[in-house]
Amino acid sequence: MLNRRHFIVTAAALPIVHGTMAFAQDRKVLQVYTSGDTNISNWWNDSIKPAFEAANPDYTFNVTITRGVGAENAAIAQRALAALQSKTDPQVDYFEEFEPASVEGSIEAGLWLEMTTANVPNLAMINPAAPEAPIRLPYRGSQVLIAYDSAKISTPPKTFADVVAWAKANPGRFTYGRPDKGGSGSNFVIRALHEGNGKDPAAFTKENFEAAKAEEMLQKGWAILKDLHPHTFGEGTYPAGNTPTLQLLAQGAVDMIPAWSDQALQALNQGVLPETVKVVQLQDLALCGGFAYSAIPSNATDVEGALKLANFMISPETQTSCVREIGGFPGISWDHLPPELKAEYIDVIPVSIPTFPSGDWQTAKNDGWYTNVATNLVRD
Amino acid sequence: MVIDAELRRVSPWRTRFRGESLAGLALVAAPLSLLLLLVLLPTVSMVASTFQFKTEAGTHLGLARYAAFFADDYSVENLRYTVVWTLISAVTSVLLALGLALYLRFSSGRIATMIHALSLFPLFVPGIIISYALARFLGPNGLFQLLLEQVGVTGYATPYLTPLAPYIAFVWENLPLPVLVISAGLAQVSDHSIEAARDLGAGTVRILLEVVLPQITRSLVIAFSLVFIFVIGSYTVPILLGPPAPEMMGVFIQRTLGELMRPDEAKVQATILLAVASVIGALYILTMTSRSRGDE
Repeated sequence: MLNRRHFIVTAAALPIVHGTMAFAQDRKVLQVYTSGDTNISNWWNDSIKPAFEAANPDYTFNVTITRGVGAENAAIAQRALAALQSKTDPQVDYFEEFEPASVEGSIEAGLWLEMTTANVPNLAMINPAAPEAPIRLPYRGSQVLIAYDSAKISTPPKTFADVVAWAKANPGRFTYGRPDKGGSGSNFVIRALHEGNGKDPAAFTKENFEAAKAEEMLQKGWAILKDLHPHTFGEGTYPAGNTPTLQLLAQGAVDMIPAWSDQALQALNQGVLPETVKVVQLQDLALCGGFAYSAIPSNATDVEGALKLANFMISPETQTSCVREIGGFPGISWDHLPPELKAEYIDVIPVSIPTFPSGDWQTAKNDGWYTNVATNLVRD
Repeated sequence: MVIDAELRRVSPWRTRFRGESLAGLALVAAPLSLLLLLVLLPTVSMVASTFQFKTEAGTHLGLARYAAFFADDYSVENLRYTVVWTLISAVTSVLLALGLALYLRFSSGRIATMIHALSLFPLFVPGIIISYALARFLGPNGLFQLLLEQVGVTGYATPYLTPLAPYIAFVWENLPLPVLVISAGLAQVSDHSIEAARDLGAGTVRILLEVVLPQITRSLVIAFSLVFIFVIGSYTVPILLGPPAPEMMGVFIQRTLGELMRPDEAKVQATILLAVASVIGALYILTMTSRSRGDE
C-alpha cells in the first residue's frame, strides 16, 4: 500500500522533475519555412531535425509548410521585407527553398544574408556545377536522367543519339511526357533542341529570344522529335506528366523514359519501380536540372542559429542523407561524400548541369511541340 | 403532370406566394444577383471583348480573332474533335441509361434495387479518381489486359491516351444523371397504356417504339443536353486519359491561357465553346418550356 507520507513527498517532487525536463527541452527554436513537396517536409522533420538537435544541443527548429497556401514562401518573404523596413521581428530564420529575386526589391533592400566560408565554413566543399551566389545556398539538386529496365537493355545509352537509335530499333518501348505537363518530358524536349543546335545550352538565353531566329532553331529540334514520334509508345501518345510516365515504366509498358532523379530514385527505394530499373545520365551533354536554394533573411530572429543550420545542411552527413533518402543530388562536391556513395551513383553524376531559360523560350518550346511534334500539323 | 396537379391541389400556398410576390422575389434575389454579377456579366464582357480591338485611333469592332481561329488547322481540329466525341459520349450515355431505366421501370426485387444503386454509384466518384483507376485498369499490362490473356485473348491494344479512354470515362461518369431523368420520365408512362397496347396485340418492340418512347422524348432530350454540357466542358478526364493532340477545348483553353499566356486567343476559344454549348442549352430550355406549356 502506498504510504501517505511517501505519496506527499512524491507529489511534491513532481513539479521539480517537470522543471528539469523543461530545462533540458529549453532549446532555441529556429523558424524554417518550406513550400516543398511532402517528401521534402517529411525528410526535414523525420531525419534532419533529430540529427541537427544531436549536433547542436542548444537548437531545434520548427518547420512550417507553406505549400499550396496563397503565395507560399513569397508571402513569408514579403512579411520579412516589411519587418526589415519597420525593424520588427520577421518571425522567420530560414527558407528551405526560396528564390530571393521573386520578391521584387528584396535583394536591393538587403533582405538576404550573404553566406561565405567565413560564416558557413562548409561552403568550401560546394559543388562546382552549382552557380555561385552568396545569398543562395545550393543544398539539394535534381536533374532529369534516363531510366531504363536493365533486364531488357544490357548496354545503357551514353548519348542522346543512343537513346534515339534504341527507341527506333524498339518501336513503342520508349516514351516521354508532354513538355508542358512535367519537367521530365520538358527537359527531354529541351535536350532535343540542344542536340539540334550544336549541343550548346548557351545558344538559348533569356535575352536572345527573337521570333524568326527562334523558329529556325526550334525546327532543328522538332525534326529530331518528329522523326522519333512514330516510334514512341502508342505511336505518339505522350503521357500527361512525370508520374504517368513513370507509371508506364512501372507497368512494363515501356522500357526507357526520361525521369527526374529524385522521383526515380525514390520510386526505386520504395519498390514502386522494379529493381531491374536503372538510371543513367547522358555523357555527351546531360539533361537539364537545377538546384534548390536555401536563403536566410538578414534580419532573421536568430542569425547565428540560422547560419549553424545552413552549415549543417551542407555537411557531408546531411548531404549523404539527401542522396540516400530523397534521391536528391548533393549541393557539395561528390568528392566530399563517402567513396562508396560516389561509386554507387557514378552513372548519374553529371559533369555539368545545363539549364534552359524561362519565359519566351519555354512558351515557344511547349506550343511548338504541340503543333509540330504531337500533331504533325503546322500552326499558322 | 402529377407534381403540377399536386401543386394545384395545395393552391393556398400558390395564392399566398402570388399575393406576396415581393417575398417570392426576395427568395430568388440572392441567387439571381449572384448569377447576374458573377456569371452573366463577366461572360457578356468577355464575349464583347473578343470583338474589340483597341488601337491608338480608338476602339473598333471586328471578327479578325475568329477568322484567325478558323484559319488555324490545329484549333479547328480541336473544336471538331471536342464536338464529335462529346456527341458520341452523350448519345452512348443516353442509350445505356435508357436500357437501365427501362429495366428498372419494369422489374422489381432485390436485383433491380442493387442495379439501381449501382447505376447511381458513379455520381459519387470524382473525375480524377476514375481517370487514374481507368489508366491502371485499361492501361498497358493493366488488369483488363491480364484478364483477357487469362482467357486466351491476346493482341489487346490499350485505349489509354487515345480518344477511346476519355470516351469510356465520360460514359461511365455520366450514366447516373440520365438514368434518373429517364426513370422520372418512365414513371409518367401509365401501365394502362402499355396494357391496352398489349391487349390490342402489340409486341414488345412496338410498345417501346410507339407507346413508351413518344411519351419520354422530352426526358431523353433533357438527359442528352445535360450530359452534352457536362462532357463538352470537361478537363480532368481528357487531360489524364486522352491523347496529347487533338485536345478537348477545355484542355486547349487552359493551355492557351495558363501556359501560353494568350488571354485573347483563350477568350475566343471559350466563346466558340460557349456558342456550341448554347445550341444544346437552347434545346434544353425549349424542351423544358414546351413541357410546361403543354401542361397549361
